[in-house]
Amino acid sequence: MNLTGSSKKLSYKKTMALILILVFISPIFGVLLADMVGYHEPLDVAAEALNLPDLTELINWTPLLDYKIPGLPAEVGYIIAGLIGVFIILSIGLLLGKMVRRT
Amino acid sequence: MHIPDGFLDPAVIILTYVLLVIYGVFAFKRIRRTLNTENTPLVSVLSASIFAAQMLNWPIPGGTSLHFVGGALAGVMLGPWLGFLTMFIVLIVQCLVFHDGGITALGANSLNMAIIDVLIGYAIYRLTVRVFKSKDPSRMLAAFLGGWLGITIAGLACGLEIGYSQTFPYGVSITVPIMTGWHAALGVIEGTITALTIAYLRKRAPHIIFAER
Repeated sequence: MNLTGSSKKLSYKKTMALILILVFISPIFGVLLADMVGYHEPLDVAAEALNLPDLTELINWTPLLDYKIPGLPAEVGYIIAGLIGVFIILSIGLLLGKMVRRT
Repeated sequence: MHIPDGFLDPAVIILTYVLLVIYGVFAFKRIRRTLNTENTPLVSVLSASIFAAQMLNWPIPGGTSLHFVGGALAGVMLGPWLGFLTMFIVLIVQCLVFHDGGITALGANSLNMAIIDVLIGYAIYRLTVRVFKSKDPSRMLAAFLGGWLGITIAGLACGLEIGYSQTFPYGVSITVPIMTGWHAALGVIEGTITALTIAYLRKRAPHIIFAER
């Protein structure tokens, strides 16, 4: 499938493959290297240093907080969370496409 | 760049939400006119790509990180309105599904990454191309400057939002230089990725780059 509708193609399959590669390698950066250097979100570090209340966990509504899946190792959970996010976004795109075709 | 819950004052929360709604209504009218069967897959695939790219946090020794934001890229590729839609889809999924960025800060985060970053990236690209006129090298520079300045100005806005919130103990005299300087330094990577992506797209599918029209 061609993403751009012209003779010069931007392949849908290749773009999707790139997205999947990014998701599958993401735990290297988001989990493994993050643990090695003791990484936290920059603004979370500021909040901790300033003793600000951490409202994120206090008013949390999602089991997928911080791209983790309860009961799964962080690396696997990060990949599955990424796949869920991509799936939801593409589903929104499909809905938009249906709305466009109707009008 | 994603502001969590607990950082912003009610006044800043309300102001940023009001700005988001006003801009959103304005953008929606234009999106309805421009969205078609050809560019809808581009919006969703670019949203998914930016979402996946943002998951690649590059940890920096010392306990912080950088990741690609993509607002300027969305602005250059799809223009200010569809670029806004692309980034807003990313931000709303990150916020509602993963609580990445607070719900009280969704207005501010959208203002920074879906409005300011997109608009600045788009405007700087157009301006640079117009000033230099020549072909490929100026486009690389234009995309680099768009990506770099987009994220830097977005960082400045983030500093203002946090600095004007009484819940955050430091005022704008500290938060603005820190957030702007930090994003200006890390923005070199953002600019480089934006430039390389636009260079690739100019070879493969130049007609999809909205800022070239």
